[in-house]
Amino acid sequence: MNQYDAVVIGAGNAGLTAATALQRGGRKILLLERHNIPGGCATSFVRGEYEFEVALHQLSGLGTEERPFIMRKIFDKLGVMDKVEFVQEHQLYRIVVPGEIDTTLPASWTGLRRQLQSEFPLEIEGIKRFMKLCETITIESFMMLPQARKANDQKMLEASCPNYVKYGMRSAKEVLDEHLEDEKLKTILAAYWCYIGLPPSQIPFTDLASMIYAYAAFKPWHIKGGSQAMSSALLESFMEAGGEVRFNCGAEKILTNGDKVRGVLTETGDEVTCSAVVSNASSIITYNELLDHDHAPTAVQEDFKSRRMGTSAFVIYMGLDCTPEDLGITSASNFICNTQDEEKVHEGMFTMNAPASGMLTCYNFDDPSFAPEGKSIVSLVCLQYGDVWNDIPEEQYAKTKYEFAEKLIDVIAQTFPKIRDYIEEAEVATPLTMMRYLNTPDGAIYGFKQNPQDSELFRDRIDAISGLYMAGCWNNMGGFQPTYMAGESTARAVLKQLKSDQQELENA
Amino acid sequence: MPNAFSNSEKIEAKRNILSVVVGYQEAVEIKASLAETGSDFSDQKWATANTIAKLHPKRLTLEVADIIKETASTKTFRLVSTGGALPPFQAGQYINLFVEIDGVHTARPYAISSSPSQRKHYDLTVKRVQNGFVTPFLLDHIKTGQQFLSTGPMGTFYHNPIFHGKDLVFLAGGSGIAPAISMLKNVLDSELNYKFHFIYASSYIDDVILIDELRTLAQQHDNFKLTEVISRPPAGFSGLTGHIESDLIQSLVGETSNKIFYVCGPTPFNEHCQMQLSNLAVEPRFVRIEANGPPKHPDQLNSWPESVGMEDEVTITVKGKGSFKAKVGEPLLNSLERNGYSAENACRSGECSLCRVKLVSGDVFNPPEAHLRVSDKQFGWIHSCVAFPTQDIEIIL
Repeated sequence: MNQYDAVVIGAGNAGLTAATALQRGGRKILLLERHNIPGGCATSFVRGEYEFEVALHQLSGLGTEERPFIMRKIFDKLGVMDKVEFVQEHQLYRIVVPGEIDTTLPASWTGLRRQLQSEFPLEIEGIKRFMKLCETITIESFMMLPQARKANDQKMLEASCPNYVKYGMRSAKEVLDEHLEDEKLKTILAAYWCYIGLPPSQIPFTDLASMIYAYAAFKPWHIKGGSQAMSSALLESFMEAGGEVRFNCGAEKILTNGDKVRGVLTETGDEVTCSAVVSNASSIITYNELLDHDHAPTAVQEDFKSRRMGTSAFVIYMGLDCTPEDLGITSASNFICNTQDEEKVHEGMFTMNAPASGMLTCYNFDDPSFAPEGKSIVSLVCLQYGDVWNDIPEEQYAKTKYEFAEKLIDVIAQTFPKIRDYIEEAEVATPLTMMRYLNTPDGAIYGFKQNPQDSELFRDRIDAISGLYMAGCWNNMGGFQPTYMAGESTARAVLKQLKSDQQELENA
Repeated sequence: MPNAFSNSEKIEAKRNILSVVVGYQEAVEIKASLAETGSDFSDQKWATANTIAKLHPKRLTLEVADIIKETASTKTFRLVSTGGALPPFQAGQYINLFVEIDGVHTARPYAISSSPSQRKHYDLTVKRVQNGFVTPFLLDHIKTGQQFLSTGPMGTFYHNPIFHGKDLVFLAGGSGIAPAISMLKNVLDSELNYKFHFIYASSYIDDVILIDELRTLAQQHDNFKLTEVISRPPAGFSGLTGHIESDLIQSLVGETSNKIFYVCGPTPFNEHCQMQLSNLAVEPRFVRIEANGPPKHPDQLNSWPESVGMEDEVTITVKGKGSFKAKVGEPLLNSLERNGYSAENACRSGECSLCRVKLVSGDVFNPPEAHLRVSDKQFGWIHSCVAFPTQDIEIIL
């Protein structure tokens, strides 16, 4: 009875997506989840009359009904499009550097250009060229580059991806500097670096370009009921297709015969057999702790050595007894920075010093139904590397947490000075909270540091253990769209293996 | 020959085409230098789990080190860890204590009554609930040396310095003393510059839990004020009597603005206090009320279905595992436990969501205590600790 085609460890975005795609692909899947609810960080929690979104700030990749983009197709294939409702945000974000910058960018590709050009009339041409480059390099790197790589054809690469060849490996900062003069303009355009976790000098230009283009052209979205609604919808679709899920039941060990997966031992002592395991846990924990080998395979060790631990986050979830208008909120997403120097902000992320930058997302700005009537739900976020929290004595933890929270509120209060007057609920999550709920080393939220070397262009899918697949942000980009897509593509790889296993059996 | 190339050769073959990309070679070199100074993270083995276990262990094994008789109705159980140090907690939090009574595995949450300033032991101060299931067992049968499993400390009823301010008023009824005295001792032990006014309601003068200690502390500390109120005083009693009405609160604390009110006691006490504070126009955000189990009389709530009685019998089917009969008026988690099933649980009051189960068919009554997510309602997830099955139901455990 305890036999499955594949076991999926972890019901985060990639695990849920992989499990659902596999089960709907006709396979028998067991989904294990250590927590009592599906979603990983794609979840929500309730305090009083408020339901707080944990992690989703702006869903990308969906596109509009008239102009759908890839996530609409993927969600449709997973059978969840009729189970969830999306709400469009009408602005990309408001960015404030007190005394220097206060700009709100529209979620429209032409609107964005017009606004930037009117605010920076001296840079009309540079803005045009920069935005054109963002658009073309996004299309090249998502459409043509994979084809050229598949064909392993350099001529094809040169012919179809001229912009990629010139700019694909440059940092976001280099390309901003090449096209634009005004430092304010560059700061405004680089704000999405927070969704990657590294300053513009350390992220590939293509990552920033594709975020700006995808959010502006295909809009940022919220989900009604929060990302938990999507997680629950995926689980529903998985169960409707006959999938089996066990909550409060993590994986204890991934069992192998030599270098081939044979099953999984669950936290409750159940041994199940399967020919494939999809791990939505971090690759570090998967290979160093879950795998029943004394050491991770050499290929994995080598891969790890060129990685670096990524950032975690510090978040305050707040229920406010006032409307967004009362607080002066004019956009759902707000970046508030004390400085235009992203390097400085990033350096601060390694410390317990007051953060130099913070974000405020207001979930009921575009749709009042996200909060009780007359009230507001906001989350305040700053990125922070988790290891500074590891050394804090347990008995100092709560005190340290609240002290740091005050520092983050100070940053946000520069733009929203009345925020402290309306707090009805407040829950603070530190990198250790991320660690607790995501089970990631140092509470990392996007996996490893997303420097250019982290890109899959420099990595192969690790197949040292036959039948063991990684799905999630540790082998791909972090964030919602990338992890949903990682789950979907992992499922395709597993289906292919299962099919070829079957054929081998039939031929034997 | 699908595996003719080794891993690294495969990467190289693919990477070749990227060598025309400006900056590619440099990026490869950076990767190589990262690899030279990097780690395979094997020295971090179990670090994540160990860090979390120090703050939020899933289970604790506790031993009863001492039992202190407080009043005729109440005992304090002093629990020590059989393993490492006890995790820290925020004053006001609880642990969920797992017990086995007559073959039934169940659990109850109890607020920790000791101060968080020491972690040698947790005190649980337990008052007898008339006709209760677990409190008589604890009070009558537990001896020192006995061991229990519990959850780690949990819950959201505590002083949150971000918005609770420094002027605290605690309204406690009976056993509501437990989180109150822990919060009080935290303020005094840590020498926080808070004011703490404790309005303590009890039924009888000979059943006022921990009163001597409270009176002593009130004499010793200027920032702690104690007000005792007795609802069923003996003849000739000269202290404050009756219930905690808004007039009384007003006269005791004066101006209510900038004060935070904590309320903990039996459900009717909590509801009464909430009403009185509302009469005084205290905004809800300055009133924190501790959850206190499932509603005793859900059928008296507005949205209760008319045609259903508390004593009606329904069939509970646990998919793939079996079925049993249960009364509509019994919370689902309790009937599951009585019939040998188990679901993870902690607060047993609708809040923590650990007892969340999926409803496949039929319907349950979800009282306001059930803090369900929007999507839970859409997809049929319920908090079994406060769910009342109003029809035959099938669930997945």
